[in-house]
Amino acid sequence: MKRRAILAFTLDHPGVLNKISMLIRKKMYNVDTLTVCRARIPGVSRMTITLRESDQARVDQVVRQLEKFTEVISVKELDTDHSYWREVAIIKLEIDASVLETFQGRYNFEILEQKSDDIHILQVAGSTRRIDAFLDEVGQEHIVEIARTGVTAMEK
Amino acid sequence: MNGKQLLLKALKERKVRFLFGYTGGAIMPVFDEMERMGAFEFVMARHEQGAAFMAQGLSRASLSTPTPQIGVCLTTSGPGAMNLVTGVADAHMDSVPMLAITGQVATGVIATDAFQESDVVGVMMPICKQTYMPLAAEDVEKTVHEACYVATTGRGGPVIIDLPKDIQNQQAGEDYRFDAKKFRPHLPGYFYTPTPEREPIRQAIELINKSERPLIFCGHGVINSNAGDLLQRFIEKTNIPVASTFHGLSAIPADHPQHLGMMGMHGTVEANRAIMEADLLIALGMRFDDRVTGKLDEYARNAAVIHVEIDASEIDKNVRTTVAINADVYRTLHVLLGDPMLTCIPRRRWWDKLNSFREVMKEDLREEIEVGIGNDNKLLMKGIIHRLSEVTRGRDLIIPDVGQHQMMCARFYNYQTNNSWFGSGGAGTMGCSLPMAIGVKLARPKERVWSISGDGGFQMNFQELGTIMEKQIDVKIIILNNGYLGMVRQWQTFFFDGCFAGTPMQSPDFGLISQAYGIPYRKVELLEDVVPALEEAIACKGAMVLEFICDPAEVILPMIPAGGGFGDMIIRHPHAPKKDQSKQGEAA
Repeated sequence: MKRRAILAFTLDHPGVLNKISMLIRKKMYNVDTLTVCRARIPGVSRMTITLRESDQARVDQVVRQLEKFTEVISVKELDTDHSYWREVAIIKLEIDASVLETFQGRYNFEILEQKSDDIHILQVAGSTRRIDAFLDEVGQEHIVEIARTGVTAMEK
Repeated sequence: MNGKQLLLKALKERKVRFLFGYTGGAIMPVFDEMERMGAFEFVMARHEQGAAFMAQGLSRASLSTPTPQIGVCLTTSGPGAMNLVTGVADAHMDSVPMLAITGQVATGVIATDAFQESDVVGVMMPICKQTYMPLAAEDVEKTVHEACYVATTGRGGPVIIDLPKDIQNQQAGEDYRFDAKKFRPHLPGYFYTPTPEREPIRQAIELINKSERPLIFCGHGVINSNAGDLLQRFIEKTNIPVASTFHGLSAIPADHPQHLGMMGMHGTVEANRAIMEADLLIALGMRFDDRVTGKLDEYARNAAVIHVEIDASEIDKNVRTTVAINADVYRTLHVLLGDPMLTCIPRRRWWDKLNSFREVMKEDLREEIEVGIGNDNKLLMKGIIHRLSEVTRGRDLIIPDVGQHQMMCARFYNYQTNNSWFGSGGAGTMGCSLPMAIGVKLARPKERVWSISGDGGFQMNFQELGTIMEKQIDVKIIILNNGYLGMVRQWQTFFFDGCFAGTPMQSPDFGLISQAYGIPYRKVELLEDVVPALEEAIACKGAMVLEFICDPAEVILPMIPAGGGFGDMIIRHPHAPKKDQSKQGEAA
């Protein structure tokens, strides 16, 4: 199943998120990630939804039906090659500081706090794949807790 | 002014005359103000669902008059609002503009499970075009105007205003000003494009000119944009045959020589065969519903598709289009007709073929209608509808319920009046007919209105006889009583081995019921009494109930089984029912 990102600009009104998520449920998708933030224009929200679908026609349908909502100002599918998809993860790790240092050059992370010799809270930003790779390399056994924002995206 | 006054002022400015509804705790302030103002005609339904269908009837019937009105219903919170749900969902499916105003508990207790509280906005959101909950008296007037604008523009639909009780009573600030004439709703995300673009029009004309076997689809959009006359000119100018969707019926006269009748599951042989053979479909204001297309992979495989549709999200939804015209049907036809590139080709071979399709069932149907009776000498619905059509010369307004009789009305009434057919299509809501007929009659008081139901559907909303009695509404009511839920029985006959599960139905004495409401009644069992009874109803001043005792074994053919393709069309009764478990039902 191909991963899709849909970018929508909507009015910043109560119920809009509800309406959008309800449509996606009605179309029988499980939302992979959904991020909402304020757009540059006051009163407008920016929403990035990712879901999995191989059939292009079905994705176009979702886009068209989202477009139909009076609160949705514009919406489009972002294609992977022509847009940046990024997320942020906050990770609590139980790991030796020396081991952590070995990742430093290769992954873009910031240590937010070192709670003890081996408990670190750090922040990693990057593509979903990059964060997954970091987590794999660190090893699941070292991860105490993890919080990820989900994807936000922008066209090139 | 306070919230309730601003609400009613805005409705008045929107030229609302009728309010359909039912009072209750959370809407009492509005009702109180309405009574004092005396500016509206209040029609009390006996159940909120009835109010929703009355509002639909008014909206739909009035749109072809010089004074289109939006149907407005007014109910209380909680159960009052929840009882609207089916009617609202129905209006949404059938693109009917409508405004539902529901009282809500006071803002201070919202979301505390207060008495008669329900999350109306949450419930209605997926089944209506837009929802509002004004949270200040100053927002009320603007909300009503915006709601009416959204409901009636583009593809129409129901809009909900959920108005908390404290806002109804709240005073607007002293410096509050609102000018309805200057008001333009701020809806940056709401688009509709009535005027077609040049390029797709050019492509469409090219396709039309070179097609050998074109076919026009007359959808609900033709009725909604009042384009019946234009469509008739268009087909006559181009010599292209036309088939109607369920909601497209009555846009052009049913017996127009180029009209092939209704398409789809219970459509005519000629319409459905034409779709199979066509090389070009010109779909006007329709959405390729599954009851129209059957199995999508087999649908119109040889045809290019020109799709004219005001709702962009319908284009390419079910059927791939060759040329998409995202515009209003009326304007598109207007532009097409004015284009000198459009040619008229005799297409004799195509017409010969179509005429041969017309012969396939003609004799069978003619014979059935003429004989008019089936098993045990019981009446055939098609015969009754055909006779009604003759007696009224096809000019009356027909409001069917949902089921077998609905398809009979669609097929065997010879519609002559533009916008004279009002049924529940997409949602298929049984019980819609009686209340919808009330709305239709109020919108077009000078025309004769027939509410036609089966015994099943009639009993779903026959409490609205109370409204007919109270308001002395002249609706002629026909009950086609066959003691069964006829359409389901037909499916059981064809696909479930004649096992009649949950379809036999014992009905009350409809005569006594009519009498209880003070409405004249006649029961008809013999063929020779059919026409006199219809004439009696016509002569009767005010409402009258006619009950016809019909043959439960009658079927509506042709039929395309659900999920089947046009090649699976059933033209002749495949087998008589193998077993009949319910003699009791037939005796009723």
